[in-house]
Amino acid sequence: MALKQLSSNKCFGGLQKVFEHDSVELKCKMKFAIYLPPKAETGKCPALYWLSGLTCTEQNFITKSGYHQAASEHGLVVIAPDTSPRGCNIKGEDESWDFGTGAGFYLDATEDPWKTNYRMYSYVTEELPQLINANFPVDPQRMSIFGHSMGGHGALICTLKNPGKYKSVSAFAPICNPVLCPWGKKAFSGYLGTDESKWKAYDATHLVKSYPGSQLDILIDQGKDDQFLSDGQLLPDNFIAACTEKKIPVVFRSQEGYDHSYYFIATFITDHIRHHAKYLNA
Amino acid sequence: MEEEAGEAPGLGRPAAPKDFHFYHVDLYDSEDRLQIFPEGNTRMRREVVQAEMTNEPRAAVKEKAPRDLEEEVDELVHLYGLEDDHELGDAFVDESMPRIEVSEYPPYGMMGREAAREQRDWRLSGEEANAEDLGLGGWGSADQCQDLREAYRYTHGRASEEYECYVIPEEEDEDEAADVFCVTCKTPVRALEVSDEHKEHEVTPLHKALESAKDEIHKNMYKLEKQIIEMENFASHLEEVFITVEENFGRQEQNFESHYNEILETLAQKYEEKIQALGEKKKEKLEALYGQLVSCGENLDTCKELMETIEEMCHEEKVDFIKDAVAMADRLGKFLKTKTDVEISTQPDFDDQTLDFSDVEQLMDSLNTIPAPSAPVINPQAPNSATGSSVRVCWSLYSDDTVESYQLSYRPVRDSSPEKDQAEFTMTIKETYCSVTNLVPNTQYEFWVTARNRAGLSPASERAVYMTAPSPPTIKSREIRSCEEAALICWESGNLNPVDSYTVELSQAEAPGASGVTESVVGIPTCECLVQLQPRQSYIIYVRALNVGGPSARSQPATVHTTGSYFHLNEHTCHPWLTISEDGLTVVRSERRAPASELLSSDTRFTRCVAVMGNLIPVRGRHYWEVEVDECLDYTVGVAFEDVPKQEDLGANHLSWCMRHTFASSRHKYEFLHNKTTPDIRITVSPKKIGILLDYENSKLSFFNVGLSQHLYTFSCQLHQFVHPCFSLEKPGCLKIHNGISMPKHVTFY
Repeated sequence: MALKQLSSNKCFGGLQKVFEHDSVELKCKMKFAIYLPPKAETGKCPALYWLSGLTCTEQNFITKSGYHQAASEHGLVVIAPDTSPRGCNIKGEDESWDFGTGAGFYLDATEDPWKTNYRMYSYVTEELPQLINANFPVDPQRMSIFGHSMGGHGALICTLKNPGKYKSVSAFAPICNPVLCPWGKKAFSGYLGTDESKWKAYDATHLVKSYPGSQLDILIDQGKDDQFLSDGQLLPDNFIAACTEKKIPVVFRSQEGYDHSYYFIATFITDHIRHHAKYLNA
Repeated sequence: MEEEAGEAPGLGRPAAPKDFHFYHVDLYDSEDRLQIFPEGNTRMRREVVQAEMTNEPRAAVKEKAPRDLEEEVDELVHLYGLEDDHELGDAFVDESMPRIEVSEYPPYGMMGREAAREQRDWRLSGEEANAEDLGLGGWGSADQCQDLREAYRYTHGRASEEYECYVIPEEEDEDEAADVFCVTCKTPVRALEVSDEHKEHEVTPLHKALESAKDEIHKNMYKLEKQIIEMENFASHLEEVFITVEENFGRQEQNFESHYNEILETLAQKYEEKIQALGEKKKEKLEALYGQLVSCGENLDTCKELMETIEEMCHEEKVDFIKDAVAMADRLGKFLKTKTDVEISTQPDFDDQTLDFSDVEQLMDSLNTIPAPSAPVINPQAPNSATGSSVRVCWSLYSDDTVESYQLSYRPVRDSSPEKDQAEFTMTIKETYCSVTNLVPNTQYEFWVTARNRAGLSPASERAVYMTAPSPPTIKSREIRSCEEAALICWESGNLNPVDSYTVELSQAEAPGASGVTESVVGIPTCECLVQLQPRQSYIIYVRALNVGGPSARSQPATVHTTGSYFHLNEHTCHPWLTISEDGLTVVRSERRAPASELLSSDTRFTRCVAVMGNLIPVRGRHYWEVEVDECLDYTVGVAFEDVPKQEDLGANHLSWCMRHTFASSRHKYEFLHNKTTPDIRITVSPKKIGILLDYENSKLSFFNVGLSQHLYTFSCQLHQFVHPCFSLEKPGCLKIHNGISMPKHVTFY
């Protein structure tokens, strides 16, 4: 598990780095970005994992969201992995932007030909944290997760499937109920097969219904002018209804005028970093 | 020591060589040296002296003793082959006498002079000691004893010390040192001797006896040192008394001199007056007598002339005689008719004049007394000398006045005092000060004082106005507001008249490190004070009122906890449909409603939305409080400026920020309202307790679900003025406010 540093830039007193390593789960070279705040020079810091949305690499978040200042102030190590295996030479992996490369959906595929490489769920919940814990000054007991869109979906399912593993979770415009939206149907049928009952294991709204109830505090921001919201890709209302029923605490903020872009993320990223810092630094 | 010896000449004690006076006992205090006196010699000497003392009058003994002792010394000198050592001989003579005196008074010596007795006993066998006691029993009269005791007193101390001195030269003669000490005989003995003479006696090693003897001597020295110090103190005290006596008598001498001079002058004047009056009287009398004498002579002349004329007539012719005789008869008849005054007009003795010495008598009388004192000077009121019910009045007088007592009078000063008959109080005081009690707080009193002695009463002093301290204020405990950094204390003056200022005293309660430290905030002009405090402490607060007279007593204490922010609901803002609980922290809206027509629009009282405002301390910082709500209740909580329009809903203007919950058709709606707008926020779990964080520094107002530590919303608001918490109930129900609680950690992230 040799790490290869691809870049390192000083940012708000800390360092924004990008590494490459050979992933065991994904059986390919994977890049990830990691921000080490100034505090990491002297001690272990909590780790906050960011999962990006469709088509993204590790670069989008670190270049566009402007999270560094808040992460620096709160002393959080922020890890942003890529969104899918790359260069696996699977037929059709690059055919569409919402499936295959850049669209791993943070699940472990069970269908050929994807099941060998497309194990993003295991990658982000197991392999990557182990790699990070082993190589960086982070406190393994304190980690949280958040993401955008498909990454928001990833953050929610990772949390809901692992009660207690993450101290907190938040999401920007997450895909809340993938089994019911076009993106989810396409991806889940591709990666998991046609048995829709298996899909529920990767559906946040369904996972909430069976969530055993470890304390959670979910923060979700959603732009009101998000085209994918109106396209029915995100379906947050279903998730909120489920949470209301199951009394899972959610603060869902509909932000007037904001779309699905990183401009929207950049606007509220500080709130989300603080949300996680509250639980990670408590 | 030398002086004492000098004062006892009766002992006939030869002057001791000075060299011997101050040898310290310690230097020579080994008992074995004493042992060098041959026992027989000691006994013999004692017998001689005792014989003389019992057979002869005491005075004789005293004269003879030295002589006898000289003989003894000669004997000793002879015994030791030291005839040439005259110094030694002198020393013997010097010391023998006192030593004998010591020996004769064992009872005296036993009274706290144990050491002396012990020393003596070393030289005397038990037998001799008994003989001594007996000797004393049959010894002279009581005053003899007394005299001798006195003599003893002079010489005793030195006897024991100097006794040691004269043995020094013998040191080298020691051949066989004594090595044990016979306690019974109080003598050092050689171990060999123990077998025979002392075999039944208690014997201790010599060094132990030595140590105990040393201890004894040290104790005595300590006593002496103490006595010296005491005597020195006494002497300096005597000096002071000496000076005082001189001064006092000097003053009295002057007093007498001036009085006697006055009397003498008066008498001289009287003498002059009397002499002059006497001379005048004499002159008058003499003149009168002289006048009488003259007229008497004249009469005599006339008579003689008449006689002569008549005789001449008898020798004349008959005719002439008849003629003349007729004329003569007429003339004679006339003359005889005039009375001859032979009464003495003036008596030779002078009139009995009474001498008036009354004024002199008065002067004589006043000779022993003193003049009446002059008016005392009353001092102005000393700062902080008054209490609420008393003032301490001080005055002084001219130093040479003698005063037996003062009369202090006072009366309250009233601005509206047309009636001069204000009650006056007078008291008699010995000192030049008086604490006048039972006065009315915060009131001015006029004081004046007169001094009195046997000669009479002085004029009254000037009048001085003193003021009693105010009554203690009353802290309005219910209106105390606090936060982590400060508290706002309000109080009632407790005084009808204005006071000068107030002082707030605060001390940390149950602070082990800083117990007893009291801080004061002084010079507060109003009945309100914002005091800076340390966070998360308990303070006990007192207030005092101050005026020129001083501070009042402390008010009743109030306790302030600087944990979180603490406020009460302001009843003046309360919508009539709301009731506030006794503790001021629960708002209830009951089902029953008063008709809306009753409500008049008001600047202070909410008239439209059924709300009430809390009184938050006006401190820019962070304030946190919580509100317990019912999940199904429609409520609004938040903050508003004091001048928020009371006839508008909270959040309906730019002067209020609030969170509103409405529950309709089993849906919870949460709005975060400011200026009628709210963000679109959905909350999946209804809070049962809402935390509200007001942060002036960051211009933020945040709401939390306390149970979940969940952040709900944060307003960014420009708070130019101070805001107050607001609570509104849109439906019947109640809101319970929790304040004075520390800020949970999770809220510090917002």
